[in-house]
Amino acid sequence: MKKNIICFILFWGLLNATQRTAAQQIDFEKEVWPILQSQCVSCHGEEAQEGQLRLDARVIAFQGGITGIGIVPKRPSESTLYLRLVSTNDGDRMPAEAEALPDSQIDVIRRWIEQGAYWPEGIGSDARHVRQHWAYVSPIRPELPEIQERQWPSNPIDYFVMAGLEKAGLQPSTAIEKRRLIRRLYLDLLGYPPTVSQVDTFVQDSSPEAYDRLVDSLISSPQYGVRWARPWLDLARYADSNGYQADQYRNVWPYRDWVIQALNSDMPFNQFTVEQIAGDLLEGASKSQKIATGFHRLTTLNVEGGTDPELSRLNQVIDRVNTTATVWLGSTVECSQCHNHKYDPFSQKEYYEFLAYFNNTPLEVNGASSSFKFYGPTIDVDRPITQRRQLSALAARKAELEAELTGVIEKADQNYSAWLETNSATTEDQAKWTVLKPSNPLSVNGATLTILEDQSILSTGENPDKDVYELDFAVDMNSQAVTGFRLEALTHEKLPGTGPGRYTSERPNFVLQEFTLHHGDSQLKLIDGIADFSQPNFDVNNAVDGDESTGWAIAGEFFKPHQAEFLLSEPFQVDQPTTLKAKLVMNYGGSRVIGRMRLSAMTGNREMTTNSRRVIALLQKDKRTKEEEQELHQLFLGQQPDYLTVQKAITDLETEMEALPAPTALVMQELDQPRETHILMRGEYKNHGELVSAGTPSVLHPLHANEDSNNRLDLAHWLVSVDNPLVARVTVNRWWAEFFGKGIVNTEEDFGSQGELPTHPQLLDWLAVELMERGWSMKHIHRLIVTSSTYQQDSKARPELLELDPTNSLLARMPRLRMSAEGIRDTMLQISGLLELQMGGEPIYPPQPTGIWRHVGRNAPKYKTSTETNRYRRGIYVIWRRSAPYPSFTNFDAPDRTACVVSRSRTNTPLQALTLLNDPMYWEMTKALGQQIHSVRLESLREQLRYAFVRTVSRNPSEREIDILEELYKETVVQLSKRPKDLEALAGGKDKGASPELGAWYYLANVLLNLDETITRN
Amino acid sequence: MQPTFQLELTRRELFRTGGMGLGATALMSLLGRDAKAEEPTFLNPLRAKQSDYQARAKSVIYIHMIGAPSQLDLYVDKPKLREMTGELCPEELFNSQQFAFIRSRPKMYGSKFQFRQFGESGQTFSELLPQIASMADDIAVIESMHGEQINHSPAQLFMQTGFGRFGRPSMGSWVTYGLGSENDNLPSFVVMVTGSVGGAGNSMWGSGFLPSIYQGVEFRASGDPVLFLSNPAGIQSKDRRRIVSAINQLNREQLVDIGDPEIATRIGQYEMAYKMQSSVPDLMDTSGETEATHALYGTAPGKAGFANNCLLARRLVERGVRFVQLFDQGWDHHSNIEKSIRNKTKSVDKPIAALLKDLKQRGLLEDTLVICGSEFGRTPMVQGGLSNAGRDHHKDCFAIWMAGGGIQGGTRVGKSDELGFSITEDPVSVHDFHATVLHLLGMDHTALTYKYQGRQFRLTDVAGDPVSQVLA
Repeated sequence: MKKNIICFILFWGLLNATQRTAAQQIDFEKEVWPILQSQCVSCHGEEAQEGQLRLDARVIAFQGGITGIGIVPKRPSESTLYLRLVSTNDGDRMPAEAEALPDSQIDVIRRWIEQGAYWPEGIGSDARHVRQHWAYVSPIRPELPEIQERQWPSNPIDYFVMAGLEKAGLQPSTAIEKRRLIRRLYLDLLGYPPTVSQVDTFVQDSSPEAYDRLVDSLISSPQYGVRWARPWLDLARYADSNGYQADQYRNVWPYRDWVIQALNSDMPFNQFTVEQIAGDLLEGASKSQKIATGFHRLTTLNVEGGTDPELSRLNQVIDRVNTTATVWLGSTVECSQCHNHKYDPFSQKEYYEFLAYFNNTPLEVNGASSSFKFYGPTIDVDRPITQRRQLSALAARKAELEAELTGVIEKADQNYSAWLETNSATTEDQAKWTVLKPSNPLSVNGATLTILEDQSILSTGENPDKDVYELDFAVDMNSQAVTGFRLEALTHEKLPGTGPGRYTSERPNFVLQEFTLHHGDSQLKLIDGIADFSQPNFDVNNAVDGDESTGWAIAGEFFKPHQAEFLLSEPFQVDQPTTLKAKLVMNYGGSRVIGRMRLSAMTGNREMTTNSRRVIALLQKDKRTKEEEQELHQLFLGQQPDYLTVQKAITDLETEMEALPAPTALVMQELDQPRETHILMRGEYKNHGELVSAGTPSVLHPLHANEDSNNRLDLAHWLVSVDNPLVARVTVNRWWAEFFGKGIVNTEEDFGSQGELPTHPQLLDWLAVELMERGWSMKHIHRLIVTSSTYQQDSKARPELLELDPTNSLLARMPRLRMSAEGIRDTMLQISGLLELQMGGEPIYPPQPTGIWRHVGRNAPKYKTSTETNRYRRGIYVIWRRSAPYPSFTNFDAPDRTACVVSRSRTNTPLQALTLLNDPMYWEMTKALGQQIHSVRLESLREQLRYAFVRTVSRNPSEREIDILEELYKETVVQLSKRPKDLEALAGGKDKGASPELGAWYYLANVLLNLDETITRN
Repeated sequence: MQPTFQLELTRRELFRTGGMGLGATALMSLLGRDAKAEEPTFLNPLRAKQSDYQARAKSVIYIHMIGAPSQLDLYVDKPKLREMTGELCPEELFNSQQFAFIRSRPKMYGSKFQFRQFGESGQTFSELLPQIASMADDIAVIESMHGEQINHSPAQLFMQTGFGRFGRPSMGSWVTYGLGSENDNLPSFVVMVTGSVGGAGNSMWGSGFLPSIYQGVEFRASGDPVLFLSNPAGIQSKDRRRIVSAINQLNREQLVDIGDPEIATRIGQYEMAYKMQSSVPDLMDTSGETEATHALYGTAPGKAGFANNCLLARRLVERGVRFVQLFDQGWDHHSNIEKSIRNKTKSVDKPIAALLKDLKQRGLLEDTLVICGSEFGRTPMVQGGLSNAGRDHHKDCFAIWMAGGGIQGGTRVGKSDELGFSITEDPVSVHDFHATVLHLLGMDHTALTYKYQGRQFRLTDVAGDPVSQVLA
C-alpha cells in the first residue's frame, strides 16, 4: 500500500512537471527506442541477457524477465519496466549501479505505456526467448569428433581430448612407464600405493589385458569405497561433533559407513541421491535408507546457553538448501536468500519455495529456558563388529567375576557369626563428644551472629555475598586429651528453606572453603575428615586442605542438618581451661555460607566409622526385619577386602560396558503437520513476507508432483531426473577433477553465469549422458577415465606446453597432484607396513599432541588415543571434531567440515614439512619403515637402498639417487656409532640395543617419507 | 638451482596447486607479475603485496576478550544507571529485544566502580584499567559498536569473519591474503590463546573459503610452540640439516626430471621449516629481554600467560609478522561480575598497557594497529540477584578500542542513551569496524574480494564504511 502511495506521488509530480507535453502522442521509434538502446540493452540485450530479460526484443520485453511482467499496456504502475526506473530501493532501481534516468526520460516511458505501449513490429529483434545459459540446456550425446591420430584413443574420452590437442597443434605425452602407472592407479582408486610385489607382478605381466585386469580388481576392492567416500564426505560436511560452543560428540558414523558401502556396491547415483535426500519417505523405508538421510543431519548446530532454537533450526534448513543446490545443481542459491540473484536466474521467492521442501523436520535442539542439547530423530543401528566383540568379552569377564564373588562370599560367611559376636560385644562408641561454648562471634561482612541456647550460632540479618566467621570456643576438658572436632551445620526456621546454608530457599547450600582452629599462635592440624554427606567434588576434606579454591558443600541434601568430623594429627591437651579461635572461610560467593553451626570436641578414639555405628545400632535391636538382616550382612561384606576387590572389578566392568555408546544414527523425519514457509524479507528470520509453497526454480526442468503431497521425495526425484540439465554434468565434473586436479568446468561449485566455461564442453556432455544412460554408474565412468589414453599419459613437463598450454587445460600431459591429507596418512601407513584395512564403526583417535582438544562448553568429549590396530586405520575413520580437527590433516588442507566443501585447496607450506618430519604419528611410521628395511636381507647396501626406494615411490631409483641415500646412510652410521645416547633416544625405550645401522635406517626412512614424490600422485 | 620453467597461472589455479615458495625465491622472481591483477599472478601467494593506497599501519595486534567484558564497568560511565540500580528495568526496554538468558523483567544495575578522566584528552575509564587509562591519549574508544548475534560462538564468528555462521575467512586471513607476508621465517598470521579457546574454535582464525595458506598459525603456550616443530628424540639440529639436505637433493633430482615447479616450492618449504626450527624458539625465548621490559609487562622468561603473549606480540610485530591475534578467555560474567571483572582486569591491564608503552618507546606503535575488543558487550540490567549481580549478553551497544597506526588517540566515537542500552549517535557496525581496519592497512574494503561460488566475497559482506572519526 505504502509503495503505491509513493508511486502515486511520484507519478503526480512527474505529471505536473510535464503537463505541457502530456497530451502529445509518444513516438516509440524516435523517443522510447533510443532510451532503451542507450540505457538498457548493454545488460538486457542480445549479448548480456541479465535477469533473463531483453529490452531489444519486443516479445521478451513485454513478457519481462525473471522478476515479473515487463510491460502492461496502459498500466505503468504494473509494469516492471517502469517500476524499476522509479524504485527507491537501491538494489532494485535500474539502471543498476548507475545514475537514475533523468525524469524526462522516465516520463517518456511512463506516457508511452499509458498510451498503450505501442511497439511497432520490425523494430528491434524478433527473438521470442532469451538465450539459455549453456548449463541450463540439457546435454545431448555429441558425435565423436574427427581426429587425425586415430591410433591414440583408447575410448571416446580420448577423441575429445585429442580433438582439442590437434586444434592447438599439440601432441599428447607418451604413455607413462608401468611402475608409475600402477602407483597412479592405486592412489586414484584405492588411496594408497601398491606394495613392491604388486608392482613387480604388474611389471612382469606383459599381456595386453594386464592393465584392464588391474583396473577391475582395484575398482572392486572394498578400499575403493573408502577412497572415494572422502570427497563425498567433504560435500556432506561430515564430522563427529556439533560445531560451535559445546562442540559435543555425535554418533554419525553409520552414515559414513553407509556412503562407503553404497560406493562399493556402485549404487546408481540417482538412487544414491534419493536415499540421502529423502530415504525416510520411501515406501517401507529400510534402516539403511533411513541412515542415508544422515546426509542432511550433518549440519552444524549451536547448543550454547541462550540460543534461540527456532533460529538454530532455520540456520540448519538454510544450510540444507544451499548444500543441496551446490552438490546437485552446481549452483549458488545463497544470494537469493536476501534478494533476487544478481547473475543467475533464481528469484528470492524461488529460494523460499525450494526451502519449503526442507522446512518440515522437527527441532534439533531441546532443553529448558536457556540450556540446550543436541536432539532430533535417531534410529538404532547394529553395533559394529568390533564393539560386539568387545561387549561379549566384557560380558564373559563379568560372568567370571560374578562366579568368583559367590565363592568369596561363601568363604567370608564362615566368619560371619564370629563377626556378629565381636561386634555385639562393643556396645558403645568409645569416642565422647562435648559441645563447646562459643563467644565473640564475628561475621567479617556484617551478618548478625547469635548464640542460641544449644550453643549453636545462627547467622541472620545482612546476607553478604561472601563471609568469614571468627569466634572463640571455651575448652575445659579436665586435662583429657582432645582428639578431634565435630562441626555441625544445622537447620533453622529463620534460614532460607530452613538451611543449613544461606544461599537460596530452593538451594540453601554453603561452601566451607577453610575451617581452622588456633590455640594462641599455633594452628591445630585437622585431618581425616568424615562428613555425613559431601557434594561431588566438594569433599569435606577440602575444608581443611589449606586451599581456599576448594571447599565442602552439600548440594543434593538440602533442608537437613549435616556434620563433619575431623581428627587432630596430634592430640591437644591442656591442664587449664583455655580458648580456641575458630575461623570459617566462606568466600565462594552467592551467600553460600553456613546459616547455623555448632562445634564439639572429641575425647577418646574414633575407631568406628559411620558404618560401624550402624552395625552396633542394628545389633542392639531386639528384632531385625529381613531388610535389616540383609543390610547387616552387607555391612559385614563391606569390611571383607576380598569381597571389595571383586565387587569393585565388577562395578568397573559395568561402567565400561555402559560407556560403550549404544549406536544410533541421525536421520531425517518429516513432521505430520508441515510448517508454513514464508519469504524472509532481507533474509531476516523474523521478517515474514509472502507465504510460499514448495517448488523448484522455473529456469530448470519442471517438477511433476501432486500438489498436496509435493515433498522432499519429489524433490529428490526431481534432482536426479534425466531432464535435469545440471546434475549429471556437475557430478561427472567433480569426479573428473579428482583425477585431473580440476574439472572440465574449472569452477566445480558454480555452473552459473559467473562460472567458467567448460574446457571440453562436448566431453562433459558426452560423459554426462553416458552416466545417465549407463545406469548412473560411478564405477563405469571411473573405469572409462582410468582406461583412457589421456589418463595414462606421462606427467613430465614439456617446454613447448608451457608456452602453448601453461595451465594444461588441454591435457597434453597428466597433472601431478599432491594427495589429500587422508591420502598422505594412508600412503605412509602402507609404505611403513602398518596399514590396517579394517572398515567401519566408531571413529578412531590416532596420537596427536596434547592440548589440541581444548575443552569448551558442556560435555566436551575426551580424546582417547587409540592403541593397537585402531591407531593404524585409514584416515577416513579419524575422529573429526569441528572446533579442533586433527592437526596433521588441517596442515594438509583438510577442511573443518563446518560447511559443504566442493574442492579442497592444495597448498605447499613449511608446516607440512614439519608435520611429515616430526609428527609423532609419522615418526612412528618412519621407524616402522626403518625397521622393515633393516630386516630385509639383500646382497648389498645398494640393493637394500633400491628396495627401500621402490617400496616408497614404486619406481626404480637412478644411480645418483642411490648415491645420495648411500652417502647419508654411511655418514649416519659413523655419527651414531659415536653418539650412543642419541642412538638410544632414537631407538626409544623398547629396543635399547639398537645398532647404528638401524638408527641410520630411521634417518633414511625419514628422508624417503618426506619426498615430494611420496606424497604426490604423479 | 636447476633450470626451472616459467609458468603463467591463473589465480584460481595457483590456489589449487598452492605454492608458498618463500624459500624458492629464485624461481619466484622468474614468475613475478603484479599481485593485484586478477590474472596471471604469482606462484607465491604470500609474497608481500602493494596496498591500494598509503597504509597507516603495517601490522595488527588484535586482542579479543572471549566471553565479552562489560563496557559499563570499563569504559562507559552512566551516572543515571547507577542511580537507577535496583529499580525494575523499564518495560519497553525489556520488551525491545531478546536476551540470551534474562527471562523475566530484570532490575537495572549501575557499575560499582569509580570512573575518572585521564590524559589531556580527558577520556573516561574505570578504576579497573588504571594502566591502560594512562595511555588514554593514544587510544580511540568506540562506544557505539553494535553486532547481530547474541550468542558467543556466532558472535565470535561474526566479529572475526563478518558472518555469524561458519565458512568465511577470518580478518587475519583476509589481511594476509590482501597484503602477503613481510618476513620469510615466520608465519604471517599468528594466534595465541590464553585459557580455553572460544566457542567458535579454530574457525576464529580459519581461512574459510580462502586457500588454507592464509589461516592463522597458533603459537602454543605449552609443548611445541608450533605443532611438530621439534625433532624426534635423538635427532639433533645438525642431523635434521643433513636429512633436509638429502630430501632436497632428491627432490631436485625429480625437479630436473619432471619439471614441476611445485617441487621447487616444496624444496623451499623444507628449508623454511628448518629455519623455523630455530626462528620460532628464538622468538619464544624472552630471556634476552631486559629486566625493565619484563618488569613493564610483568613477565618472566619461560612463564606462559597473557602477559607473556603480549610481550610475544611485540616480538612478532618487530619481526615483520603482519597479523597477531591474542585471545583471552574468562570474560563471560553472568554472575558475580564485581569480583570476576576485577580479577580479570588485574591480569590484563598491566600487560596491555605495557604493550602499548613498549611499542611506543620502540617507535613501533605508529606502524602497529592495536585493537582490543570482544564479540559483544553486556546489559545495563542485572542478571541474577543484586547480591551476586551479573550482566547478560548485549549486542546493540558495546565498546572496543584501537590505538597506534593511523589512529587519532584520545578520541571517543559514538554516544548511547543514559542507561547505556541503545546507541544514540554514530553507530558503528562490525562491518564498519572491519572496513576501518582494512583502511588503516591501506586497503579498500570493497576491493578486497575473493571470488567463490560465483560471487565476489568481502570481509565486509555488502556493507561498512571506515569510521573516519578514529583516523588520525
